[in-house]
Amino acid sequence: MTTLIVVILLIFGSYLVAVLENWVNNGKFRLTAPLFAAMAMLGRESILSHKPDRLFFEVAPALLLISALLAAATIPLTPNLIIADLATGALFINAALVYVLVALLMAGWGPNGAYAMIGGWRFLGQLMAYAMLVVMPITAVVMRAESLFTTEIVVSQAELWNIVYQPLGFVLFFIASLALCFLPPFDLPTAEGELAGGVEAEYSGVRLAVFRFGRLTLIITLSAAIVVFYLGGWQGPLLPPWAWTAIKILTVTAAMLITGQLMPRVREAHLLSWGWKLGIPLALLNILIVGILVLVFPT
Amino acid sequence: METGSRLKKKSVLQKISAFAMSRDLTAFIIPGVDIARANNLDIEASGLQIVASPRHASVLVIIGSLSAKLADSAAIIYAQMVRPRAILSLGEAQLPAFLSANVTAEISQDGLVSAVQDLRQWFSNNAFSEEVTDFEAGVLSTRIEYVCPMHPEVVQDEPGSCPKCGMFLVKREVQANSNAVNSAAQHDSHAPMAATAHSHKAHQSVDIASGKYTCPMHPEVVQDEPGSCPKCGMHLVPMDEAANAEATHDCCKSEDEASAEKHEHKHSGHDHKSHDHKSHEHHHESTEASGKYTCPMHPEIAQDGPGSCPKCGMHLVPMDEAANAEATHDCCKSEDEDPTEKHEHKHAGHDHKSHDHAKMNHGDMDHSKMDHGDDDFMSMVDVTKDLPRGDDDLPMEWIDAPFGPFFPGLPSGLVLALTLAGDAVVKTEINTITSDIILLEQPTTDFEGFVDNLARLNPLAPVSYRLLACLALENAADADVSKQVMKARIGALERERIASHLNWLAEFGQQTGFGWLQNHAANLQLKIQQADFAGILLLASEVTKLVNRVQKTPLLKARTKNIGPTPKDVPTTGPVARANGSNHDARNFDPAWLELGFSPISSTGNDAFSRLNLRLDEILQSMELIKMAEAIAMPELVKLPKPAAVELIGQSSVETARGMARLHVTLQNSSITKASLQTPSKLHEPLIAPMIDKLELGDALTTVQSLDISPWEMRF
Amino acid sequence: MTAQMFFIGFFGIAAIWFGVVVFRTFSMVRSALALLFSQTALGAMFLTMQAEFLGVLQIMMMATEMSIMAIFMVMFMMDPGGMGTMDMTHQKKLSLWAGFVSFVGGVAIAVFVDWGPIAAIAPGAAQQTVDLGLELLGRSMLIFEMAGLTILTAMIAATAISIQPLKKKSQ
Repeated sequence: MTTLIVVILLIFGSYLVAVLENWVNNGKFRLTAPLFAAMAMLGRESILSHKPDRLFFEVAPALLLISALLAAATIPLTPNLIIADLATGALFINAALVYVLVALLMAGWGPNGAYAMIGGWRFLGQLMAYAMLVVMPITAVVMRAESLFTTEIVVSQAELWNIVYQPLGFVLFFIASLALCFLPPFDLPTAEGELAGGVEAEYSGVRLAVFRFGRLTLIITLSAAIVVFYLGGWQGPLLPPWAWTAIKILTVTAAMLITGQLMPRVREAHLLSWGWKLGIPLALLNILIVGILVLVFPT
Repeated sequence: METGSRLKKKSVLQKISAFAMSRDLTAFIIPGVDIARANNLDIEASGLQIVASPRHASVLVIIGSLSAKLADSAAIIYAQMVRPRAILSLGEAQLPAFLSANVTAEISQDGLVSAVQDLRQWFSNNAFSEEVTDFEAGVLSTRIEYVCPMHPEVVQDEPGSCPKCGMFLVKREVQANSNAVNSAAQHDSHAPMAATAHSHKAHQSVDIASGKYTCPMHPEVVQDEPGSCPKCGMHLVPMDEAANAEATHDCCKSEDEASAEKHEHKHSGHDHKSHDHKSHEHHHESTEASGKYTCPMHPEIAQDGPGSCPKCGMHLVPMDEAANAEATHDCCKSEDEDPTEKHEHKHAGHDHKSHDHAKMNHGDMDHSKMDHGDDDFMSMVDVTKDLPRGDDDLPMEWIDAPFGPFFPGLPSGLVLALTLAGDAVVKTEINTITSDIILLEQPTTDFEGFVDNLARLNPLAPVSYRLLACLALENAADADVSKQVMKARIGALERERIASHLNWLAEFGQQTGFGWLQNHAANLQLKIQQADFAGILLLASEVTKLVNRVQKTPLLKARTKNIGPTPKDVPTTGPVARANGSNHDARNFDPAWLELGFSPISSTGNDAFSRLNLRLDEILQSMELIKMAEAIAMPELVKLPKPAAVELIGQSSVETARGMARLHVTLQNSSITKASLQTPSKLHEPLIAPMIDKLELGDALTTVQSLDISPWEMRF
Repeated sequence: MTAQMFFIGFFGIAAIWFGVVVFRTFSMVRSALALLFSQTALGAMFLTMQAEFLGVLQIMMMATEMSIMAIFMVMFMMDPGGMGTMDMTHQKKLSLWAGFVSFVGGVAIAVFVDWGPIAAIAPGAAQQTVDLGLELLGRSMLIFEMAGLTILTAMIAATAISIQPLKKKSQ
């Protein structure tokens, strides 16, 4: 039952993200556009490119969607609404999200086209830059909560949200999330201006619909993860838990989408350079600071 | 003859789907969004969404008329679009027969809006149909050819074996019409997975001199006397054998299906046939016993007599009784895993008349047996050692990737056939296929017609070329132009400069993924283009705000700093030159501008960042000039006085937004007999290839974008 | 009990099957990703054996590692797409012997080592994480710290070797 509710909420959430994205990118607020786009995509032909790796081509969009759903399975929307409250929840989110990389590699290699292939391998380079910046802030969050249960992570923020407790971690995790769901300014695999759509370029019809849906689910899953790890989850005065979760997730998503509009794409060389030379030392510093705080001010 | 509908029976589900499609129209613009904006069309405002890939588009929007080659590329794009699809043609263009429009309209915003309504109607009714025909165009026909995986220049029309190495030829599908140019999304050309030999290292360029000896496998090894190649141990062969000295041998060049030269692609320096036989002959000489033969690629094959390998078809070579007699082979079987001993990397059989394994590092393997093949180890690090590499120094696979002519990140109409090693550019080939305009077909007395013709040359800069023509003719006839008229012309030219730079900013925003800039610059450009003098004054504050905002963008400097310096001692013009410290500006020599207080802006830096800043500063400067000019009017030819002499020569130069353009005209007996034009884009064209060499793809495209080249001008 | 055994068997066979695909396929990328999924199946086996932390960790790490291996294979291997039909296997005898010896060694270790008393019930996943942490920073600290430092040294050394000397870059 909870699974069904969560999946429906995810679908609805994806719809809202699509509306938001349209509004942020084009300035137009159209509530029906994503619905028409989805219906139209389902009615279009699904074309195979010349000599594709058929297995990869078909599996990639599905894998993207599955990995996003798996990650969403351990995220609590309200104290009772969580599909699987795993004891290693915080780590499992990361494990599921790594398969986004595998999906994009498949999507890049499958169509047997130059643009898609370059997009796919670029994402591997991107992962090298952001992978540590996902895990290390989560480590710091878990240190405070002293547990990998996502519900306990939320509960540990009852007095002070993590965004105040470990702002450095928040900034790093936010940036890494942008890179993980390849939103601008980290949209290297699907760059319009450099690769004419890159990994997405060869997909059409049903497969494109699944790919896009998977991407939207990924965005909302990551927003939910940010909310759970840093913004206190469902906690807040006055409104019921689900309302707070919804408001926070939508705010974070809007912030993620707006950030992308405001700057040009980061060069791959810079992404890797800053990720390793700046990001990882900062993440380690964050762990150090949080460690000291946790020991000095035990709850 | 419906080529755009999808073959399905109409039912309720299809009706809903068709309705959804009619509300969700995605467009791919030909020749490009910049041309659309230059024609004052706001595509997004009319209800169409612009997409980057033809596979995501449902409408093909063709603006104006297309040259023959552009029409071919448009046909390729249409063929790649997913059904249901429609063609919208704006302007009374004569489209070729194979590209018939479903909806036509005039080139205006109203025309576009009504056309979109018609398109919605079309999709609702015709998205699914029971009678659908295939789309056919000459350019889409393909043929099958057969190529050797090891020698990509060996191409045949029928299956068989490679004459050089004997391997079975592999099937490949290519375009039948080799004159057509690849379009942006052509994916057949150089599949990364195709089993072609570009993973083998490309032979390096060679200086051929006679009397020297070279290695058939390593042409960069050149010695004065015969001996063994230090890299692979093969016997060196005289260079005279190499008939025609072809310098570069690119394994991948032959993959370019548009190149008609693939059959001329000589293996001159590496006349494998003779060389291989030579080495085989050495084998025969040095073989002491045993008639066993093996395949250089599959050492586990052992036969008693010569023949072909059953797995790959290559000629079998004799095994030395003492050692592994693998013949010369591109894949350099290195028995040697220790990289510091690569000089020991010998193709056995060539160097060991005696069985000397002491120098080889095989660990504890037993070599007394003949069947060395199983224990062999192919060090791919050695094989890829000499591959030309991009800037990141990784030996990646080579791919041919055509970019253009409708690629979203490049100026529309520009075709860059790039060869990428991984994602670094290693080879560039430029093509332009844009227009069929001829400057002067025959001597004409129609001066107005000449001016109009020149104004149509570059849809992105009509005022500049119009002015150029007027000034040239007035210069030839020695006509007087009043200050008023001149000031109004200045106003028009500067307005076009602002519009052109804003257009460039919008394209730059799209290329670098800077969404805000793309939207705002495009909107502002449309407003400025249609504004008269009063309107421009009202827009001045918006323009200033945009410029300031761009200069404060985070990460913009990081994205563009040190990207794309121009090579030394190469002539440049316009903002590209002025960003490199030059002060050269055609307006500096014109008294009309100097009166308004013009002085050229220049800066140093010579990279994409400084060019960006220079163009932003020029926008502000042009705004000031318009205010001083106090009027805007399209340049019109003034009444020319009667010619004083029989033959008159006139010339003019105008600083267009991209650089200086020059026109020379010759008037004889009141008719124009000769005209010659130099455009800034043509001057910058040879810069592209050296500037993007070895750059990563994103940087390469930013570099090309920063040059602000217009392919429409590149024919002159 | 039987459900658990069934799934362990299922994932085990999946791991072996993916492992076989690694060298049966002609495409290098398929080979790398097949190895990836083989490791994922192993991780799933860990999960089925109620070693939650290890399972999740295995799934996570192997995905990243095998993907990196994939790009190296594309870089250095001929015919990464597998479109040709050339047999790319080498050193068959050596590999067969190595595989056999490892198999015998693995079985021997599994059967003959004294693993200690069998626990009646596996501890809860949260408790396992705590225990694992205490073990890592207690009894096994020396081993893991050394392993960590060794890997770090190897990373730095590999990067240093592959970087071009600075003076060549500035030309």
